[in-house]
Amino acid sequence: MYIKDLYAISPQKTHDLSFENGEWQVLNEYIYKAVEPSYQDLIPNAQLRRMGKAVRMGIGVSLPILGRNPKPDGIIFGTANGGLEDCIKFLNQIVEYNEGTLTPTNFVQSTPNALAGQVALLSENQGYSMTHVNGSLAFESALLDASLYFDEYHGEEKNLLVGAVEEISDYNYNIDRLGERFKEELVPNVDLLSSGTKGSYCGEGSAQFYLSNNPENSLAEFKAFKQSSYLSENEIGEFVKSFLDEQKLDTTSIDCLLLGKNGDVSTDSWYEQVEQLFSDKPKVYFKKSVGEYRTVSAFASYLAVRLLNGQAGYLMENGATEKPRTVLIYNHFDAVRHSLILLQK
Amino acid sequence: MTTNREELIVEFKEHLIKYLNLLDLTPADIQNDVPLFGEELGLDSIDSVELIVLLDREYGIKIKNPTEGRQILVDVNTIVDYIIANRTK
Repeated sequence: MYIKDLYAISPQKTHDLSFENGEWQVLNEYIYKAVEPSYQDLIPNAQLRRMGKAVRMGIGVSLPILGRNPKPDGIIFGTANGGLEDCIKFLNQIVEYNEGTLTPTNFVQSTPNALAGQVALLSENQGYSMTHVNGSLAFESALLDASLYFDEYHGEEKNLLVGAVEEISDYNYNIDRLGERFKEELVPNVDLLSSGTKGSYCGEGSAQFYLSNNPENSLAEFKAFKQSSYLSENEIGEFVKSFLDEQKLDTTSIDCLLLGKNGDVSTDSWYEQVEQLFSDKPKVYFKKSVGEYRTVSAFASYLAVRLLNGQAGYLMENGATEKPRTVLIYNHFDAVRHSLILLQK
Repeated sequence: MTTNREELIVEFKEHLIKYLNLLDLTPADIQNDVPLFGEELGLDSIDSVELIVLLDREYGIKIKNPTEGRQILVDVNTIVDYIIANRTK
């Protein structure tokens, strides 16, 4: 799957490429909120005022990509929670108004596939539409769906818009905080990995890709990806090695490793196992930039494509390579769901 | 409960802004006799359902007949007149 175009809204200034060009936001907050662009020129006011943050960010990423490229044959998104803020508002209204008349807006915006539907309506796209809600592997599921789609149309040029979105709402933040996923104390993101405490910081954002099965003029390629659940710390190294074996690669083939290390002392050891396999390679710890959320691997993929094209190189630690050609992303959520994504230029 | 018509107009406009998320407007920006579903405010069919919910929740008014609704949901004046005549709370 070849990446022809991409765009992202994130807690860093990705919307105007400041982040890619070296402007890194130091964040010292409990919540890493997305830096959103002005949507006034992009989304009609009547629709914008009804949109929840997830839908707004998602459309804010989709429309610029769609404006630069031919109409895709399908739209595939991944999201763990979708517009959860609107969803909980709607559920509360059912109780508050004793199951009486309910407002349509919160309901319409609360379904996870509201984004794909709105993008299709705004861009007049009647093609394949799918939204994957497979928790912290939702983006990986969207990638798998895209891969299967391209397989189905082998030999015929096809294009897809593929991406992910996640919003922070008070509700999901508080629920995840009670689950000890987020830190109680404040540490700036620059020191995130040395915080020495449990939990991380909550992030949000949307990253999307215009994918094609035609390699011409592509920025990079999603070469392979693999997911697994409930791997022990001892199994993770073998998981990575067997994945590389399947691609006829080994650890020396990887120019840069992107790790989802998030400063949570209870689960960072899985990342350390993988780090050891690539001890002499440059590494990018992308959650220092955007925090933890369930579809953050979409942002990691976005960053990988930038690195493969000679941008954002300042984020590489443990040495740097000017323009990596093969990049591996390893991410897990709660040390339960693990994913590997291999990108090449 | 507001009984003064002018106060009710302001109160209704505040509800209108909140329910329809017209956050860039103030009550003074909404003219009493300008059609709500014309070019001025640009409201649409989803907004009409939000308005029906607003009248139910804030004033205890249930609009069930679509023909009746089309005559009531015209502008601020027609809605406020209907509220004064039919409110149950």
